Amino acid sequence: MAIVAETNRFSKTSRTVLAWLVGLLFFFPIFWMILTSFKTDAVAVKPEFLFSFTPTLDNYINMTENYDYWRFAANSVITSVFATIFTLVVGIPSAYAMAFNPSRRTKDVLMWMLSTKMLPAAAVLYPMTFLTKNFLGIFDTHFLLILVLSLINLPIVVWMLFTYFKEIPREIIEAGKMDGVSTWGEVREILIPLAWGGIASTALLCFIFCWNEAYWTVRLTTTEAATLSKLIEGNRAPEGLFFGRLSAVSAAAVGPIIVLGWFCQKQLVQGLTFGAVK
Amino acid sequence: MGRIVLENVTKKFGDLEVIPPLNLTIEDGEFVVFVGPSGCGKSTLLRLIAGLEEVTSGRILIDGEDVTNIPPSKRGLAMVFQTYALYPHMSVRKNIAFPLRMAGMNEAEQNTRIEAAATALNLTDYLDRKPGQLSGGQRQRVAIGRAIVRDPTAFLFDEPLSNLDAALRVGMRLEISEMHKKLKTTMIYVTHDQVEAMTMADKIVVLQSGRVEQVGSPLDLYREPRNAFVAGFIGSPKMNFIDGEKAGTLGAHTIGVRPEHVQICPKGEGDVWQGKVGVAEHLGSDTFIHVHGIDGCDPMTVRAGGEVKINHGDTVYLSAQMDQIHKFDSEGHRVS
Amino acid sequence: MSKRKLARLLQTPAVLLLLVWMLVPLSMTLYFSFIRYVLNNLRRPEWTTPALSNWRGFGNYEFVLDAKDFWFAVQNSLFIVGSILFLTVTLGVLIAILINRAFPGRGIVRVLLISPFFVMPAVNAVLWINMILDPVLGLQGIAIGGINDLITLLKDAPLVGWFFSLWPTLEPISFRATQTSAYAVIIMVTWQWTPFAVLIFMTSLQSEDQQQKEAAVLDGAGAWSQFRFLTLPHLGRPIAIVVMIQAIFHLSLYAEIEIVSRGNGNKNLPYLIGEFANNNIGAASATGIFAVILANIVAIFLLRMIGKTLMD
Repeated sequence: MAIVAETNRFSKTSRTVLAWLVGLLFFFPIFWMILTSFKTDAVAVKPEFLFSFTPTLDNYINMTENYDYWRFAANSVITSVFATIFTLVVGIPSAYAMAFNPSRRTKDVLMWMLSTKMLPAAAVLYPMTFLTKNFLGIFDTHFLLILVLSLINLPIVVWMLFTYFKEIPREIIEAGKMDGVSTWGEVREILIPLAWGGIASTALLCFIFCWNEAYWTVRLTTTEAATLSKLIEGNRAPEGLFFGRLSAVSAAAVGPIIVLGWFCQKQLVQGLTFGAVK
Repeated sequence: MGRIVLENVTKKFGDLEVIPPLNLTIEDGEFVVFVGPSGCGKSTLLRLIAGLEEVTSGRILIDGEDVTNIPPSKRGLAMVFQTYALYPHMSVRKNIAFPLRMAGMNEAEQNTRIEAAATALNLTDYLDRKPGQLSGGQRQRVAIGRAIVRDPTAFLFDEPLSNLDAALRVGMRLEISEMHKKLKTTMIYVTHDQVEAMTMADKIVVLQSGRVEQVGSPLDLYREPRNAFVAGFIGSPKMNFIDGEKAGTLGAHTIGVRPEHVQICPKGEGDVWQGKVGVAEHLGSDTFIHVHGIDGCDPMTVRAGGEVKINHGDTVYLSAQMDQIHKFDSEGHRVS
Repeated sequence: MSKRKLARLLQTPAVLLLLVWMLVPLSMTLYFSFIRYVLNNLRRPEWTTPALSNWRGFGNYEFVLDAKDFWFAVQNSLFIVGSILFLTVTLGVLIAILINRAFPGRGIVRVLLISPFFVMPAVNAVLWINMILDPVLGLQGIAIGGINDLITLLKDAPLVGWFFSLWPTLEPISFRATQTSAYAVIIMVTWQWTPFAVLIFMTSLQSEDQQQKEAAVLDGAGAWSQFRFLTLPHLGRPIAIVVMIQAIFHLSLYAEIEIVSRGNGNKNLPYLIGEFANNNIGAASATGIFAVILANIVAIFLLRMIGKTLMD
């Protein structure tokens, strides 16, 4: 490519500028939200204070008072963390078995798991409400959300772990067998150390998906187990009155996740395309 | 001790029979090479002996003991894999120690053995590195080290040199041979490279489609191949096969003659064939001449001296050493 | 225990959980879709229990198919999904090619670019519809107000004033009306999912055969020919996958519609199901079955494509 690169020195500069512009443009709404979160509600809607204003932390300090932020955040953390743990506990053995002891049906099982992910959630909205409210009495509980979040992420988690486990060379496992390692030893001494990175990023991605989920968390909760998605959805139209405080609570809800997301960009591709793009 | 006996061993993957009933005896201390084209079942056979695959029927005996249903680690065998199969998250020392640790050996004894193996394999300076920081040849040594420390009854090698470059391969070949001379432990070595087979083996087992075509010493196989397949597989360049009229006059369906047993001779002095030179490959020590236009064999390869002056398009006359001609019937079996 | 048995045992919890998750609610939906079932009806209280005696056959389906709302929702679902797909794929390919080559600060640009994808949908919608797209208080309103002020100022300017006096006063667009709120949803989802497309196309571009490109340069191919005959075919598969995955995600788009369009008449299938589910469960279920069928059409193609690469 050296030939092309040398003839286009001008285009290289303009590409750089253009690339930066695109990057900044895409980030701008997030930047704008963060900037607004440091304005008082009154200043936030005044054009003359677009960029020059006295920053204030009040919106963050008053998050509890204005929105009861920490209660919703705690619900988000509880449901996302436990759903992630539960998904991994169920997903790891399953992916392990499929990767190292594949049978003729393994492929079909995997495909079927994926197909459950493609079922539109809305189609089973009422049965879910009916079952959990009238029948099981678990509507608007942490337990329900943890269960549902686990189930909707289980196919992706199994799939991701499967692709990671499959990348571990068979011969290494066989070498372990020759060296006299037990089944449990194989998992502890060889498999977990080798797949550690994959398991960690799978967990991270699963956590992000749980945190951002916005159908079941909105439809299956009212107050007790309501998460940040529900909180934001409930304050959808402040009509300009509360731009500052709404920005603060939004930024607090998405900030940590964006940072976590930066760490698992690569895994995202694998996780969302089910290994079909490499 | 390390006498390994296979009795009527078969292997099926689903409905596909990859090893039809097979009998083989490997004597203690022998260096046995399984050789054959890819897909001939040689690796599967090795994995059956190792216990990494279950036999479908038949028995495997090691030193008289039936190990057919014994897990791999209890068979007292050590294996060196094609991809080395080192544990990437462990240092060289830990890799070599792993089988000892699994066997519950005490640390002092472990260290003595590791040091001994490392010295023998020139790995002393690398013990604290990870496999990722080593070259291909060094990784291969670590894999061998991991096998040696266990003091196994037999070593199993699964194409261990095929991932190395040509120069390194020749060196490692010698080292493994020397190791065998020193240890005198049974070794079973799988390769598709007949040069490796010829240079290293005490006994070669030629396999095709899971069947044993011939078992014997390298020179036995070279001199008296039992059929056309073995004849064509052993020896480089490949044996020339000639069918048709010329074969018929000698009472065979096909005759075979190795390039080194064909000579260029002046016209009319016992020449059997006449043809035109296509390509002459000058190696310095030898010249391989590919001759076209010979009835029933095109091209015929001739091995001549390094200094021979032959060019593309020349017409040459060829004769063969009649006592070195192999005769085969229509099914490829040797006729004597 | 044999290996086979152990393997099956280890898979059981996951398989069982997903089986229950898929079968139980879906079969209930299927059942509800064939009976008269409403939550409140004073004249016909017997319809408020899901009893088999309320069997309606394909009545709910006929009712749904006759409903103007249904066809509007289907049309709107397809319009929204189609627009998002077109925009994200086009932008995604262009941006991926733009940042595929090394330039100063590429790592930072990547991080900036991917960020929108991790914003939770509820925040995405609230942020865009209020702080950016609002016709008065959002950036849109402020920007248009600014431009109008500038034009008014320039009208009085000497020499060029006549030119600006020909300009109309710009009207900000309200994104809360039925039709325009669909545009708002398209804008915000495109913003969120373009990074996803970029990420996947970039991953794929990294694996493009550089020697093949060099061979093409030697064969005299220009930048356009390289793009047209090498890069685009190489991206064919990832594009297909991006299209299908997004189609499945966006067919069940909900939070954005709920936040942007509640009560203004704009709807897609999931939102319509939500509306029906407030009272008419039979209709909601029948609509749900239609949504399943629609998603399955896409899913079959996607699964087939993924299945091909699964075991190698």
